[in-house]
Amino acid sequence: MNIFLKELKSHRKSLIFWSIGIFFMVASGMAKFEAFSSSGQSINTMMADLPKSLKVVLGMSDLDLSKASGYYGMLFIYLLLMATIHAAMLGATIIAKEEREKTSEFLFTKPVARKTIITAKLSAAFVNIVIFNLVTLVSSIILMGKYSHGEAVNREISLLMAGMFILQILFMVIGSALAAVKKKAKTAASQATAILLLTYGLSVAVDLNEHLKGLKYLTPFKYFEAKQVMYGGGLKPSVIVLSAVLIGVLSFATFFFYKKRDLNV
Amino acid sequence: MNVIEINNLTKTYGKARGITDISFHVEEGEIFGFIGPNGAGKSTTIRTLLSLIYPTSGSATIFGKDCIQFAPEIKKEIGYLPSEVFYYDNMKVKDLLKYSASFYKKDCSKRIKELVEIMDLDLNKKIDDLSLGNKKKVGIVQGLLHEPKLIILDEPTSGLDPLMQQKFFELLEEENKKGATILFSSHILSEVQRLCNRVAIIKEGRIVTVEKISTLQENNYKKFKIETAAPLDQKYFQISGVNNVEVNNNVTSFIFKGNINDVMKKIAATEIANLWIEEPDLEEIFMHYYEKEV
Repeated sequence: MNIFLKELKSHRKSLIFWSIGIFFMVASGMAKFEAFSSSGQSINTMMADLPKSLKVVLGMSDLDLSKASGYYGMLFIYLLLMATIHAAMLGATIIAKEEREKTSEFLFTKPVARKTIITAKLSAAFVNIVIFNLVTLVSSIILMGKYSHGEAVNREISLLMAGMFILQILFMVIGSALAAVKKKAKTAASQATAILLLTYGLSVAVDLNEHLKGLKYLTPFKYFEAKQVMYGGGLKPSVIVLSAVLIGVLSFATFFFYKKRDLNV
Repeated sequence: MNVIEINNLTKTYGKARGITDISFHVEEGEIFGFIGPNGAGKSTTIRTLLSLIYPTSGSATIFGKDCIQFAPEIKKEIGYLPSEVFYYDNMKVKDLLKYSASFYKKDCSKRIKELVEIMDLDLNKKIDDLSLGNKKKVGIVQGLLHEPKLIILDEPTSGLDPLMQQKFFELLEEENKKGATILFSSHILSEVQRLCNRVAIIKEGRIVTVEKISTLQENNYKKFKIETAAPLDQKYFQISGVNNVEVNNNVTSFIFKGNINDVMKKIAATEIANLWIEEPDLEEIFMHYYEKEV
């Protein structure tokens, strides 16, 4: 419990900054929507002229941007990127920082088992992620309520946040597993981020090129896409199961490899 | 009873550093010195005992229990002071000590107060702002606040001024009188000589010898210095038991351990001008162990 509380405290400040960031992200995004929609011009006709590849890269393909929900769907990919970057870095650093800051000789000579320490640290990271997700959810519902002109969007937002939550957990354990396996734990955070950007790039490539469709299970960013979640698809059970399996395997790997690790001191 | 028992402990990191086939034991109530030059493997041995790293082969027990399998349990009664102390920078001294105490299921506040007073620590400073010596003092308090039965110290005096060093040694002797066993690793001989009952000497990852300090100093080592009319051949005293032969013009000196008659006969066979036979100090004995075999 003491380790858990200490970790919560030491990540408090960064969580506050991320929360402020995510609020402004939603606020500024929706403010732009307001400017668009009040200009009287149809966004859709304007967007139709854009090349497909650009729309894909910007995350706006197949969304009805004249509606607040569609606009939010475009915004979602950026929120998702922020949330998963936060989760991946958090998962990696919370494990790696004892070695990075050379405090492992303090913590790991205390009468606690390594698995207890990892459990406490991952629980603290989990709480951070839940708070991050709730802040995004609440910001979105409040700000969408302001701009949606009566369009019912709360259900869609909640579904998207549920998908985002699963991906947050997935990237958190990608980070923690890397920190447990790698000899130089310090590099885990940058590697986890690299994996994240790579899989995001892959998801864009899959959208651009029909032939790559088979690769969509390789990138978590194709698991819960706004257009499919919002327009009736909901969360697909197959990808929920796939995510759960990946999360299970990576959590196990974190514990298994950390237990056997020679700590750098 | 043996508090620490190390059996054929080996740890290899790739090809370079590590320890090979280390065996020794530390008895209850003893202050045991662990001495050797930098990089000899002292810290590696200690970190293996504390299961920060895992041995390649061999094993060790502490309080009769395997040091890896029962690690969390035996660490309740271990206090550890590393050679370099690193703590969470943004914490105050007070918070760090509280955090440290929270791992032990007993009230340590009284002992913390006593130790802070002896060590003359400012509790409200941030760890980040402390000098090296003051960080070390935090380390000492942190290692002793739960009144451990086994205290493991890895080159503990670096960074402490002589006055603090003195206070620290007194503190250790007090703990020892109360029943604590101490494993004291160092490369500074005088410290070990002052505190310890027995020592293990480690060199290049191997234990060279385990002896009582008093035995090391005992009469079986003699330092010979002979002045002759003409310089002697370097090889003249090449008999078993003779070490560290130095020929300096007419003066020849060496350390001898063995049957004194052998060396006396050799001396009698030559024309000498003067002769000194002395007890070597510990320093010279250790140098003899440290020096790489030629």
